[in-house]
Amino acid sequence: MGWLAPGFLLGAVTIAVPVWLHLLKRSASQPRQFSSLMLFEPQRRSTTRRRRIDHWLLLLLRVAVLLLIAAAFAEPFVRGHLPGVAPEKLLVLAVDDSFSMRAGTRMEDARRAALAVLAAKPRDTRAQVVALGSRADVLTEQVQDGAVLAGALQRITATDARGSLVLLAGLARTLAAGTHMPIELHLFSDMQASGLPADFDELRMPPGVTLVLHRVGAAATPNWTVESVAVPAQVWDPAKMRIIATIAGFGTPAATRTVTVLINDQPVSHQSVRVPASGRASVVFAGLQIPYGMVRGSVRIDSADGLGGDDHYDFVIQRSERVHGLFVHQGSDAATGLYFRAALAAAADAAVALDEITADQLRNRDLAADTFIVLSDVAGLAPAAEARLTDWVKAGGRLFISAGTTAAQQRRIPVFDARILGAHDYTRDAGRFTAVAAVDEAYAPAGPLSGWQGVKIFYVTRVDPGQAQTALRLADQTPLLLEKRLGKGRVLLFATGFDRLTSDLPLHPQFVAFIDRLASYLSGRGARNSALTVGDSVDLRPDPAVRGSADVLAPDGTHPLDLGQAQTVRTWPLPAAGFYTLTLADSRHELVAANVSRLESDLTPASDDKLKLWQAASQAPAAAGAAAASASATPGTDAESIHDLWWYAMCLLLVAVVAESVVASRYLNTLRDST
Amino acid sequence: MQNLLDPVVLNAISGLDLVAATVVDGFVAGLHRSADFGFSQEFAEYRAYAPGDDLRHVDWNVYARSDRAYIKRFHGETNSQLMLLVDASSSMGFTSHAVSKLAYVRFMAAALAYLATRRQRDATGLVVFGNTVRDFVAPATRQGHLQRVLAALVAAQPGESTSYAAPLLHLQSFLRRRGMVVVLSDFYAPPADIVRAVAPLRIHGNEVVLFQVLDPEELRPRVDGSSMLIDSETGASLEVSQDYVQGRYRERIDAHVAGLGREARRAGIGYQLLQTDQPLDQALMQYLLLRTGRD
Repeated sequence: MGWLAPGFLLGAVTIAVPVWLHLLKRSASQPRQFSSLMLFEPQRRSTTRRRRIDHWLLLLLRVAVLLLIAAAFAEPFVRGHLPGVAPEKLLVLAVDDSFSMRAGTRMEDARRAALAVLAAKPRDTRAQVVALGSRADVLTEQVQDGAVLAGALQRITATDARGSLVLLAGLARTLAAGTHMPIELHLFSDMQASGLPADFDELRMPPGVTLVLHRVGAAATPNWTVESVAVPAQVWDPAKMRIIATIAGFGTPAATRTVTVLINDQPVSHQSVRVPASGRASVVFAGLQIPYGMVRGSVRIDSADGLGGDDHYDFVIQRSERVHGLFVHQGSDAATGLYFRAALAAAADAAVALDEITADQLRNRDLAADTFIVLSDVAGLAPAAEARLTDWVKAGGRLFISAGTTAAQQRRIPVFDARILGAHDYTRDAGRFTAVAAVDEAYAPAGPLSGWQGVKIFYVTRVDPGQAQTALRLADQTPLLLEKRLGKGRVLLFATGFDRLTSDLPLHPQFVAFIDRLASYLSGRGARNSALTVGDSVDLRPDPAVRGSADVLAPDGTHPLDLGQAQTVRTWPLPAAGFYTLTLADSRHELVAANVSRLESDLTPASDDKLKLWQAASQAPAAAGAAAASASATPGTDAESIHDLWWYAMCLLLVAVVAESVVASRYLNTLRDST
Repeated sequence: MQNLLDPVVLNAISGLDLVAATVVDGFVAGLHRSADFGFSQEFAEYRAYAPGDDLRHVDWNVYARSDRAYIKRFHGETNSQLMLLVDASSSMGFTSHAVSKLAYVRFMAAALAYLATRRQRDATGLVVFGNTVRDFVAPATRQGHLQRVLAALVAAQPGESTSYAAPLLHLQSFLRRRGMVVVLSDFYAPPADIVRAVAPLRIHGNEVVLFQVLDPEELRPRVDGSSMLIDSETGASLEVSQDYVQGRYRERIDAHVAGLGREARRAGIGYQLLQTDQPLDQALMQYLLLRTGRD
């Protein structure tokens, strides 16, 4: 007999309460006056004993009630089989369908082993089939029908998902919580070493679950893979682009592999690389011709191993012209433009052609070709120039305004249309400077950057933020970076300058990163990856405020989103490897590449010692031989049944409560009559 | 009128003189309703027939009704005195209902005093005792004497333990005339000791009557389970069980009552058990019957 929650047994100490009350009652019994005791004989011993016996019945019932309550909370159970009755249990068949199960005949072996276990199942035993990959897919209800279960097993196929055996413990806990019977959980998997977590506590089975492991596949399977490809997501000059591919071998001998780069499914370059035994080698491709637009790229190797799905690595490159940016400054200020341009040039993939003009030249500037404009501490704009600039923003342009010492002399910020409340020169304060105290981490241009607290701000223009979003705020709560929507465009206000008089930001390394992210944000490129991993989610609604229909075109030519999902779903996980064409809610089109997690490429199985350790960590030990990957093991032969005694405890508690009520009622009636 | 003799009804009457008048007048009225058995102008008292009495004075109607022979006596024929000995010990304060034993004894003593003084012109005296004589009213027939007796009864409060020897020894020095001595007590003492203490009162031809007044609870206590009892006189406590009270104790109280009656009869002393829930007319009837010294 055992207890599922033995801590509640501490509640048994509450029996001291009725014992104490009964003792108190005994000492507080009401004496009665009587005329004379001459005719009474001392009967102290016998009468006391008799009264104790009467009270003991009530006391014992009350103690029994408390003990049964504690026992019910502690959930008693017994192990073993009821005589003459087959132990009731739930049989769960979990089949690993992760990518590694594509190797060789592992999937077929797992299915065959599961069907063997299913065939040995007693007719009246309920069972359930679960596919275990990056998530646990319950394929059937808990049924007795073997045909339904076998059909579900036959439909399981290996996927591109990353397998995680940690999910098995979560599945077991979920099943145990919803099933009041012992569970015999069979796992059919290649037991990849990479699928086991370092901490076995994450794999611990809950009480009442017996784990039986069935390992399939050869002990060691050599496998080559394109482990990774480093390629920029956006290029504007292919001549400067380099593709670095890493080729890895797991359990492989030293060999020479041919690596081929394909652009839009056409091989454009190939090289041979010598991969050491169970090692890695890198190969670099440069000078490739990349067409404009979204380009499908892939790096392939000739591996001829049993797992071909990881012999190529897909990616997407977007080639575009350099965007045009316009930097407007006061005629007397040439330094800030130098800082800004130097920072843009330092960014590796900055594809911005920056023009510099003075504020006076803005009147004659054709803004149609400019992707973004930077107003760097200008004193003011002529009404006509401001009107043109405002119209340009409302049409979708993005404007960045820095308000340094010159702009602070004005009454308002042009285009941003914010009233200037004044300026604060921190060099005149005791501290000589201030710092950023609050950062909106979700704000793309500045939030992800660290080190804002180390930037010294000497001078800031105080403006009325109105309805603008504040991304950076100083220690005295003065807004430093604000953004406001204006029509289809955006206006950003940096309440200080880019010169060294107003802050030391240009001296910090993060200035380059900030300008790079700012340029990307202003040019509307955002941050994108050249390749994703199966299971990663794509954002179909980058701007939640934009309402529209999204769409996904999967590699197999299907549209997995139904009409309802297309209107509402925000993120969508990539289920398989390949190229996906996305139509975002704001009508933009994206092409993304999904690759199988390379953790699946290492087919090295977990050692028997680790599997034994896993089973030892589980409270219900499986047969020791099961860990040795016996697909023909008879399920449940040594497993014990667990019988929950909670209901029995509750029934006994009910009986005890009723008995206590009856006895206590009689006792109270006796007291009332005596009174 | 019969209801007025109920001790519970009498308990609601504040004046003891009114209680006595109510009891006796009601009792006499009840007797008048019976043919040839009542008080007349000449009538003085009833007395039980004794060998040698004139058979012409035997009230045959009463004999027919009660199977006992009584002799009618008239004024001038008696020259007696009634001495009432009232036990006012602590145990007499016990009660299980509206009337305590002492209250019942007050009613009984007042009624007897009233009957003796007003109806029979006897001298009536009173001794209130516990373990000593606490109050004494010498027998007399003068006017207002009844009020003194009644006032002494009202003043009697339960207290002290009980001792029969000292008060009765003290009483012997006052008994000069032939008369009747009525002892009202619960008699919680060995019967032999009680009779031994009371018997000397029979000198000078006195008739002695013992009225043992007990509460119904004392005869048949109700105890459920077990109870702690405290002696009202000694303060001693004892835990008793229901089985004991319903068994052994009943045997012992019945034996005590029977033993006292037996010892009293053996010594020529009248004895009657009275329960505080019984009407007083029965007690008065017993008094008349026992006045002859017979049962």
